[in-house]
Amino acid sequence: MKLKVVSKILDANERIAQENRRIFNDAGVFVVNLMSSPGAGKTSLLERTIKELKHRVKVGVIEGDITGTKDAVRIKSLGVPVIQINTGGACHLDANMLNEVLKYIPLNKLDLLFIENVGNLVCPAEFNVGENMKVMILSLPEGDDKPLKYPLMFQESSVLIINKIDLKPFLDVDMERIKKSARSLNSSIKIFEVSCKTGSGMGEWADWLYSQCKPP
Amino acid sequence: MHEVFVAQSLLNISINECQNNGFHRIESIKVRIGRASGVIPEALLFTFDTLKAGTIAEGASLVIEEVSVSGHCNMCNADFIVDERFILCCPQCGDNSFTVNSGRELDIVELEVF
Repeated sequence: MKLKVVSKILDANERIAQENRRIFNDAGVFVVNLMSSPGAGKTSLLERTIKELKHRVKVGVIEGDITGTKDAVRIKSLGVPVIQINTGGACHLDANMLNEVLKYIPLNKLDLLFIENVGNLVCPAEFNVGENMKVMILSLPEGDDKPLKYPLMFQESSVLIINKIDLKPFLDVDMERIKKSARSLNSSIKIFEVSCKTGSGMGEWADWLYSQCKPP
Repeated sequence: MHEVFVAQSLLNISINECQNNGFHRIESIKVRIGRASGVIPEALLFTFDTLKAGTIAEGASLVIEEVSVSGHCNMCNADFIVDERFILCCPQCGDNSFTVNSGRELDIVELEVF
């Protein structure tokens, strides 16, 4: 007996992602899924962004790492609520991992929630977790060939933050090539150039993000 | 990509579907896998065979239909199909403004059950 089935294999993740989205909407919190390679500056960007925004909006963070709490400790010292997820080896966060920890974070008291994904330029792009916006970081030392080598991440992200621009004089990296190839993959991608070290570009990024998540 | 996750997920869906329709054994599962889905068919077959042991799909074969990556160019209006796993630009005119029509499928389409 043949059964016709039309079922998306990743529906389970998609369903939970939609449930997460509903929980976020009900709580009135804007959720950013932050992704990049290891060491591109996700936690440093969060530290800078939180300092810029914490007097304007109430911010919380969910940290995703394979193991350990180093990032959560850094964020906690800024006085914002933070939850650490340890994936125990998995290379990305999925909707269910997130769903399981939502009860530990006071969503109703937040305006803006950052989800710092596991450092990886490939897999996190494949899994929606229920976020409002995907933001990715590419740091200059990673090289200007990355958009065309890791296209899905650039196609899925609404925002590209180019970090470590203070290192530009020391690197053989073509900034225009990064922007051009990122836009060729995703014509609507919004690009910011920043240095988490010097703070350059942070104001513009933080103001823009604020405009996206402004509480009523 | 995440063949274990995908194989487990397709097994769970198939087993539920089979049992919900009053059947007890799965003979085959037909899936459509887009070439840009990130799933490697050989790896999916391998993990499927490992995970199906001890389930009602123990004797099931996994039949994979690969779906090519195709798109429509918004500049030159061409419909195209590519051999690569990603479309980076229109193969006709080289423009970057295109819509992807297929290639990211990860679907179960048919079960053979008893």
